[in-house]
Amino acid sequence: MNSATQTLLTSLRTTVSNIRANKQTFLISVMTIAISVGILGLFLIIFFNLNALLTSWNQQVQLVVYLKNDISPSEKSDLKDIFKSNSKIQSMEEVSKEKAWEEFKLTQKNSVGLELDLGFNPLPDSYKIRFKASENRSRHISEFAGQLQKNRGVESVEYGEKWIDRFEKFMIFCQLFLLGVGVLLSLGLILIISNTIRLSIYSRQDEIELMLLIGATPSFVKIPFIFEGILQGLAGSFVSLGFMGAVYSYLKTEFRPSIDSLARGMELQFISQPFLLMLVGLSILIGFVASYISTYQYMQVLNKR
Amino acid sequence: MIQLFNVIKNYGSGKPALDDVSIKIEKGEFVFLTGPSGAGKTTILKILFGWEHYEEGQVLVQGINVGRLDAGNIHTLRRSMGVIFQDYKLLPNKTVFENVAFAQEVTNRDRKKIKFKTWEALKNVGLTPKKDSFPAQLSGGEQQRVAIARAMVNTPPIILADEPTGNLDQEISSEILKLFEEINRNGATIVFATHSQEILKPGKHRVIVLNRGKVVSS
Ligand SMILES: Nc1ncnc2c1ncn2[C@@H]1O[C@H](COP(=O)(O)OP(=O)(O)OP(=O)(O)O)[C@@H](O)[C@H]1O
Ligand SMILES: [Mg+2]
Repeated sequence: MNSATQTLLTSLRTTVSNIRANKQTFLISVMTIAISVGILGLFLIIFFNLNALLTSWNQQVQLVVYLKNDISPSEKSDLKDIFKSNSKIQSMEEVSKEKAWEEFKLTQKNSVGLELDLGFNPLPDSYKIRFKASENRSRHISEFAGQLQKNRGVESVEYGEKWIDRFEKFMIFCQLFLLGVGVLLSLGLILIISNTIRLSIYSRQDEIELMLLIGATPSFVKIPFIFEGILQGLAGSFVSLGFMGAVYSYLKTEFRPSIDSLARGMELQFISQPFLLMLVGLSILIGFVASYISTYQYMQVLNKR
Repeated sequence: MIQLFNVIKNYGSGKPALDDVSIKIEKGEFVFLTGPSGAGKTTILKILFGWEHYEEGQVLVQGINVGRLDAGNIHTLRRSMGVIFQDYKLLPNKTVFENVAFAQEVTNRDRKKIKFKTWEALKNVGLTPKKDSFPAQLSGGEQQRVAIARAMVNTPPIILADEPTGNLDQEISSEILKLFEEINRNGATIVFATHSQEILKPGKHRVIVLNRGKVVSS
C-alpha cells in the first residue's frame, strides 16, 4: 500500500468517526441539502415540462397563407418560388378552397353536430407551411409572414398566436429565475454546511492541535473534513433525487389527463440526465467548497497564533 | 544540531520569558534544562518545535531555520522530534494503545509496522498491561509514561522532554531516565527539562541552568 492510499484510508476512517461522533449534525446537514436541492429540482421539473409543452406547441405552429380570389397564375408561381427559396421551410401543402371547405364542414359536424350548407364556399385557396425546428423559429415565422403580407395576391397570413412568442419570453425569464434560485440556494447551503463543518472541526480541536504538534501536515488535518463536506453533498443529493422521483411519479399519475389535454401525446418529463448529474455535481461542489472554506479559515486562525 | 542565538521571547506581559538566550547543543548530546519555575524551560522547548514564535534572534535545528517555517512545512521539523509535553496532551477518547499508534498514523508511517512499534514503545515504559485503558483511568505517572512512549515511537533524532518525570516516584524516575539514556546511546539528541535535583545529582550529563529567562550556566 503506498502512502497516498494510506493517507486516503486514514482520512476516510477519520471522516467516518467524525460523522459518527456528530451524527445529528451530519443528518441535519444532509437533510438541508436534500431539501434545497429538491426545491431546485422541482423547479427544474416544472421548467422542463413547460419547455416540452412549448416545443410541442411550436411543432404545431404553421403558417397559413390565404390567397386572393383573383390571384393570377404568375403571381401564384412567384409565391411558390419564394417558398422554395426559403431554406427554413420544412413542408408546404397546397389547400384548395374546395378541400378546405370540406374539412371545415366536417369539423363543424363533428363538434357542433350541425351540417352547414351555405350554398357557396366562403373560403379562399391557401398554403399551409411548416417550418423546420430551429433556435429562433417563431421570430423567423413572423418575419416571413410580414414579408408575404406585402405580396400582391396574398389576402392574409395567419400563424401561431402571439402568445407563443410571449411564452418563449416567459421561458427565458424562467431560465433566469432558475439560475437565480440555484445561485441563492447554493450560497445559502455553503453557509450552512461550512457552519456544520466548523462545528465538527471545533469538536476535535484538541486532537487537531495535537496532530499538528506531532507533525501532521495541514492537508492531513483538512482532508477528513473536506471528505465530510463532500459526503454531505453526495448524500444530500441522493436523498433529494429520491424525493424528486417520488413527487414526479405522483404528479405523473395524478395529472396525466390534464397534461394530455394540453399537448396530445406528451408525457410528464423528469429532469434530463445531464441536469440530474449536474444537481449531484452541484451538491458535491457545495459540500467541497463549504468544507474547504471552514478548514481554510480554521487553519488561518491557528497560524495567527 | 540545535542552536539558539540571542533569542528574545516576549509573551507580551512585561518582562521577556527568554532574554537573550544563546545555547548550543551537539548532535547526540544529552542535556538537562533546569531552573526554577517560570525560568523559561518550556518556552525554549516550544520554540524548538515551532509552537511559539520569538521576537529576536535565530534558532537552528538540524540546519533548519525555525523562524522561517510556516504552517505548510513546519511538520518537517516536528517529524524529526519526539515531544513530551508538560501536560502530556493525551487524547481522552483514545486508549493508551491508540494514543501511541496515533503519532504514527498522523505522520503517515508504514501501517504494517504500527502495531508492532506501538507494542515495543509501551513495553519500554512498562505499560503493556494498561494498553486498553483510557487516559482518565490512569495515574498521573502512567499518563506521563504514555506520553513518553508516544514521543519515542517514531524513533526521532531529537527528543524534547518537558518534565517527563515530574509525576513519577524516585524508582520509576530513574527507570525512565535510563530509558532516555538508552535512546541517547542509540544516537538521539535529548533535551530534558526538569527541576528535580535528584535527577541531576549523578552529574553524568551537561546541565543548562536558566533563571528568569536568562542562561545562568551551561
Ligand atoms: N502562553 C503564555 N502567555 C503568557 N505568558 C507565558 C505563557 N507561557 C509562559 N509564560 C510566562 O513565561 C515565563 C516562562 O514560562 P515557562 O513555561 O517557559 O517556564 P518553565 O521554566 O517551564 O516553568 P515550570 O517549571 O513551572 O514549567 C513565565 O513567567 C510564564 O508566566
Ligand atoms: Mg514548564
